[in-house]
Amino acid sequence: MKDVVLRSLNETFSKFGDMLLQFLPHLFVMLIIFVLGWFVAIILKFLTRRIFAFVSVNRLSKDAGISQILSKADLPPAGDLFSSLVFWVVWFGFLLIGVDALGVPELQLEVGKFFLFLPQIFVALLVLFGGLLAANFFSRAALLAAVNANLPSARVISGFVRFIIILLAVAMALEQIALARSTVLITFAIAFGAIMLALAIAFGSGGRDAAHRMLDRMFPPAEPKKEEERAKQEEISPL
Amino acid sequence: MAETAQLSDEFIRQLSAVGEVDVLVGIPTFNNKDTIERVVRAVQIGLTKYFHRDRCVLINPDGGSTDGTPDIFKNASVSDFEIMLTSNPLRTFHRVSAPYHGIPGKETALRTLFVAADLLRAKACAILSPTSLSVTPEWVESLVRPAYRENFDFVTPLYQRQKFDGLLVKGLLSPVVRAAYGARVREPVASDLGLSGKLARHLLDKKIWDEDMTTFGLEIWMTTTAIVDGFKIAESFLGPRIQPTPQFGQDLPGTIRQVVGALFKCLEMHESYWPAHTGSQALPTFGFQYDVALEPLKLSTKSILDNFRSNIDQLVPVLESILTPATLADVQKMIALPDRQFRCPDELWVKTIYEFAAAYHHSAINRDHLLQALTPLYRARVSSFILENAKAPVSRFDQRFEELGQEFERQKSYLIDRWNAKAGGDR
Amino acid sequence: MQSDPLWYKDAVIYELHVRAFYDSDGDGAGEFKGLTYKLDYLKDLGVSAVWLLPFYPSPWRDDGYDISDYTGVHPAYGTIDDFKSFLDEAHRRDIRVVTELVLNHTSDQHPWFQQARSSRDNPRRDWYVWSESPDRYKDARIIFTDTEQSNWAWDMSSKSYYWHRFFSHQPDLNYDNPAVREEMWNVMRFWLEMGVDGLRLDAVPYLVERDGTSCENLPETHDVLKFLRHRLDENFPDKMFLAEANQWPQDVRAYFGSADECHMAFHFPLMPRMFMAIKLEDRKPLVDVLQRTPAIPPACQWGIFLRNHDELTLEMVTMDERDYMYDEFAKDARAKLNIGIRRRLAPLMESDRRRIELLNGLLMSLPGTPIIYYGDEIGMGDNIYLGDRNGVRTPMQWNGGWNAGFSGADPERLYSALISNPLYGYQVVNVESQRRSEHSLLSWMKQLIRVRKSTRVFSRGTMEMLHPLNHRVLAYVREFEGEKILIVSNLSSQAQAAELDLRRWKGTVPIEMFGGSPFPRIGDLPYLLTLGPYHFYWFRLRQL
Repeated sequence: MKDVVLRSLNETFSKFGDMLLQFLPHLFVMLIIFVLGWFVAIILKFLTRRIFAFVSVNRLSKDAGISQILSKADLPPAGDLFSSLVFWVVWFGFLLIGVDALGVPELQLEVGKFFLFLPQIFVALLVLFGGLLAANFFSRAALLAAVNANLPSARVISGFVRFIIILLAVAMALEQIALARSTVLITFAIAFGAIMLALAIAFGSGGRDAAHRMLDRMFPPAEPKKEEERAKQEEISPL
Repeated sequence: MAETAQLSDEFIRQLSAVGEVDVLVGIPTFNNKDTIERVVRAVQIGLTKYFHRDRCVLINPDGGSTDGTPDIFKNASVSDFEIMLTSNPLRTFHRVSAPYHGIPGKETALRTLFVAADLLRAKACAILSPTSLSVTPEWVESLVRPAYRENFDFVTPLYQRQKFDGLLVKGLLSPVVRAAYGARVREPVASDLGLSGKLARHLLDKKIWDEDMTTFGLEIWMTTTAIVDGFKIAESFLGPRIQPTPQFGQDLPGTIRQVVGALFKCLEMHESYWPAHTGSQALPTFGFQYDVALEPLKLSTKSILDNFRSNIDQLVPVLESILTPATLADVQKMIALPDRQFRCPDELWVKTIYEFAAAYHHSAINRDHLLQALTPLYRARVSSFILENAKAPVSRFDQRFEELGQEFERQKSYLIDRWNAKAGGDR
Repeated sequence: MQSDPLWYKDAVIYELHVRAFYDSDGDGAGEFKGLTYKLDYLKDLGVSAVWLLPFYPSPWRDDGYDISDYTGVHPAYGTIDDFKSFLDEAHRRDIRVVTELVLNHTSDQHPWFQQARSSRDNPRRDWYVWSESPDRYKDARIIFTDTEQSNWAWDMSSKSYYWHRFFSHQPDLNYDNPAVREEMWNVMRFWLEMGVDGLRLDAVPYLVERDGTSCENLPETHDVLKFLRHRLDENFPDKMFLAEANQWPQDVRAYFGSADECHMAFHFPLMPRMFMAIKLEDRKPLVDVLQRTPAIPPACQWGIFLRNHDELTLEMVTMDERDYMYDEFAKDARAKLNIGIRRRLAPLMESDRRRIELLNGLLMSLPGTPIIYYGDEIGMGDNIYLGDRNGVRTPMQWNGGWNAGFSGADPERLYSALISNPLYGYQVVNVESQRRSEHSLLSWMKQLIRVRKSTRVFSRGTMEMLHPLNHRVLAYVREFEGEKILIVSNLSSQAQAAELDLRRWKGTVPIEMFGGSPFPRIGDLPYLLTLGPYHFYWFRLRQL
């Protein structure tokens, strides 16, 4: 009985040993790839940071309003952030390659799927970035236009514009990475529609006078109203 | 040599018929049927009276008027010469119509005039606005003579203005030009001016014509370029300036965007020139200056003060990207002042303008937005000025503007510092 | 001579001073005998009539315009027979003769005036205009502003004032007196019967005076002229009256009457404007004056000229125009005299051959009978250092030799110094040298006159002004009996292009008249012509 157990153990261990021996080279390869990948990632991070400094991406992101967001979230400035991102992405990629080298087919499949997914993420990030830029620009434009046209609650209008555009950008980004596509789509459509409806009601009933005035300004009537006339008289020529 | 590819055959034909001239007068138009006839007659009389031995031509570049302005131009005449003048003119009076196609902008009109001045080898040119209701034949003489007979190259006008007229010019444009370029040009954005043929040809060769400088930008550019390139500048007194109901009143932001934007752009263009100069020179002045009792403008303080406070408040996030924290704090303090005590001191105003200029240069935010953000601050300044000087006599005005000009000059080093500071350094 | 009542329309007149032309008897001044010798020169030049400055007995205080005997010949010029012989020789060469009749005034040495002033009761007293005080006719202007202060002069002998529009030694005749009129008619008849073909009526606007008027161009003056013309028509149908009336065109018009006063009159206002147009390089002065020139009766004719024996008068221009002319043409103040400029054509044109030719081209193509001043056909110069208008009355320059070939006398004996500077002097500018070259001004003038006389369009045709856009080009079309001539002149010192609207003459071929070259046929499009500096074209428009 002892012999059988010993022999069985021996067999198992030797089998395990064989398996291990078979596996170890792959493991070593994986580890080597890990280390190599780390070095490559570091270099790329450094290069990226340099390039971005050259292109002064910090200023651009400031324009997009990202810097404000980042600093509020206690994150490092955009250039640094992005180069870190590059590092992690590259190293993660190498990690995956290493895992792939292990030679486990199921894992390989997942890794393959992941790599296919990568470009989508990239595009989604771009869309988000662009959306943030646009949101900042247009919200500021709206703010200025509203302020200079003496519309009340200019800030509200500006915030509203920003919100809409970001919403749009997020929806586009999510669709890009195909995350709960239909859900996102429908949710977005409903939200957008609801907002527009609310606006219409508010504008139509509550903001009747304001709308009237604004339209008058855009399409001046043949005889200006009394108050318009008074306003004109008092407007002095700056030039 | 000038590019003539854009001139129509008909225009060139008319120019060849005119031949070499001594004096060229241009009136660029676009839908000015109500006022153009008066201007043409004034020019005709002015040329006959003061330049009757010289070869003269009157050119009208028209940007596609639909109200019949070019026809009025062609037909306007002074039928009773004997009443206005002592004698019949010696020479044929030349009148050339030059319609041009494309955007009815000042660039094309001025370019057309400069090309004509080049082709006709004009010794002196004058450009008159088609909307002046107060133009007289003497304006022609005042603008042309310094260039034609006294060897000056650029003649800016001097107007007898109504009390609070032209505050953007007097409160911002003129003192900045004074401080930056060292020349006390009191009307750097005038649409009535005189040039020597030499300057016209010089401006023609510059590359500005392909860029978009818009109407007022071109005048500021001409003024600053004339200074920077070393041309002799003079001012000439024309008299009262009365325009038809101001068109700009309803678009102050647009005006500021165009004019101040052009000013800042010029500062950028000439940034190798103006930091090196300090102080300023008064310009030689022609003409007999007189005061005319003009109708005072009716203004109500309440409506002036209402607008800008909330506006500035709402723009704080934008202003944060433009002004230094210290200046922004001062601005906020200022707008918190109660009505009676409301004042925008010269110092603050100058600092603000200079920070705007520097921010424009660094493109701290989109330039268009930056200029729009200036509007409520300008309104604040105007309100303060009006409140302060509502009952002051005209002589006090001149003094105030002199003080303002000096303040701009005093803070010039601040401008230079901000201008040269690295981008994002304020954060 | 053939009888032709309208001979003056087709004439080319040559104005000369007998004294200045040719001296054959060695006394230093020209006379009729000498002039007779030179008739061949005039024939060769091509002129068809000669106008002589006054040659009557005179104390010569106004170069012969102060006459002391209307029916004689000053001994310095010869005898009546000399004159008659000259007249015959001229007629033999088909050259007509126009003499001066100074109607308005006589010399104070004239026997009539001597008698008139001797006493108030003298029968001739009334032949002149007398007054107790110098206050009458206050509104009359003074003509010789450089020398006279008043139109009245005090007569010591009869202790009263006498009227004189010109020099004080030229008392005005009184045309209110019928005896005066009759006597002047007798004088006229004397010369006309002898064979003279035309009379230049000097100073004709001033004949009659009336208080409260300018004493110029009065209706009574015209009555005198009508009277004289009536007599002329009755007795001498193909003789001519040429009025000297320095007035605006509409006032000169009156001197033609309804073809019952003078046949011809000088177009004074045109002349300075020809000079102005060239200096300004702008046709406006010419076009203006031609537009303001009224139509005249068909039998009448303007007399046009560039220069004459007087100063270039600037009386009939505006103040601005006068200042301009002074500034441009009389830079040396010495050149100014009275209200004018006392220079010859060539110095005024700065001896620029092209401009001289252009002006002569205008002279020969504008409507009117051209009058050439002696010496201008060779481009003679002037002498502004001589007094009065004598600077333009210097001896004719015939050759480069002794006294310019004018006289065999000692140079010191000449009546006037010769022009002898290196630019205009007789060594350089003279008939003989120019005769020898086909390209001299003289030869060119001969050709010009020949072309002019080749057609009657110039002398009798209508004129239609064209208005090319280029104001430096003057263009007009003359037409007569179906024949058409297009004249285009470049008034500027630079080459010019001009587009002419010639659609009315569409289909014709312009033939350039000096060279005979055909130019492209006129079509619908504007006709483009290019001209060199101061160049002009004469085109005959032929239907081919």
